[in-house]
Amino acid sequence: MEEQEWIYEQLDKLFEDSRDYQQKALILAAKKLIQEQYERIEQMKGELDGTLWSPRSWNE
Amino acid sequence: MKTLVIISHPEIDDSGSQQYLLSSVPQTEDVTIHHLEGTYSASQPIDVEKEQQLLAAHDRILFQFPFYWYSSPPMLKRWQDEVLLEGFAYGKRTHRLSGKEFGLILVVGVPEKEYQAGGREGFAISALTTPFQAIARKTGMEYLKPLVIFQFPYMKEHEKMALLIRYQQMLTGDKSDSLKAREEWIVEQLEQTDRNLLGATGDLVLEEVLSTIEDNRLTLDELEMLLDNM
Repeated sequence: MEEQEWIYEQLDKLFEDSRDYQQKALILAAKKLIQEQYERIEQMKGELDGTLWSPRSWNE
Repeated sequence: MKTLVIISHPEIDDSGSQQYLLSSVPQTEDVTIHHLEGTYSASQPIDVEKEQQLLAAHDRILFQFPFYWYSSPPMLKRWQDEVLLEGFAYGKRTHRLSGKEFGLILVVGVPEKEYQAGGREGFAISALTTPFQAIARKTGMEYLKPLVIFQFPYMKEHEKMALLIRYQQMLTGDKSDSLKAREEWIVEQLEQTDRNLLGATGDLVLEEVLSTIEDNRLTLDELEMLLDNM
């Protein structure tokens, strides 16, 4: 979580410091992309936990 | 991949949305912008051979226009009638457009929610654009998901910035908009961006951002593999 917050803060600062509009848009898009990656990672970990705990596997 | 953007707008200089899109065009030789009304007046004949050569020289063809009465401005319709001829675009022997990608970039003045059954417009954009989908089908082009811009003047600055990126991806990105495809596009753009325009520590941060995206991709691939093997 701390790692995520750190990279978001860095991206916010990069956005503020950039002197180019298109570059700012790109930085914003990179932040959204990273957020989406972390969300997907969480979902897949959840799915993995769910699968491990699935009653379907209890008989094996 | 070479992209041709055919723009039809009778008063492009006065259009805030079109000017915004024009200023967002990626600076690359792989993108050609072709404004029809800026090339031909209403009384001037269309140079059919030149237009057909232009089409043949590109892999992705995009029509960009304001949505007028559920269709394009008249110049684009005239262009279709005169340029997409039998023997070039379709016919028994020749299919010069076959295998290319075809897409629409629409600027719409009404909110998105009205374009559905029960909404004020009553029909979805996908239904109203079937003539263009039929053109793609008949000419053997692959129809891409459109980029539809609703109510541009009401968009907030961060929404406009997101649009800028979606527009650039429509022009230069992979036809797939999967997370992986978008990661690759963003990484490529970040690697090419002018580091002189970033702040003092920008260089280092950019490297951190790139490695975060790549590390996350590795994690995602590993998780996917684990899930596939369950």
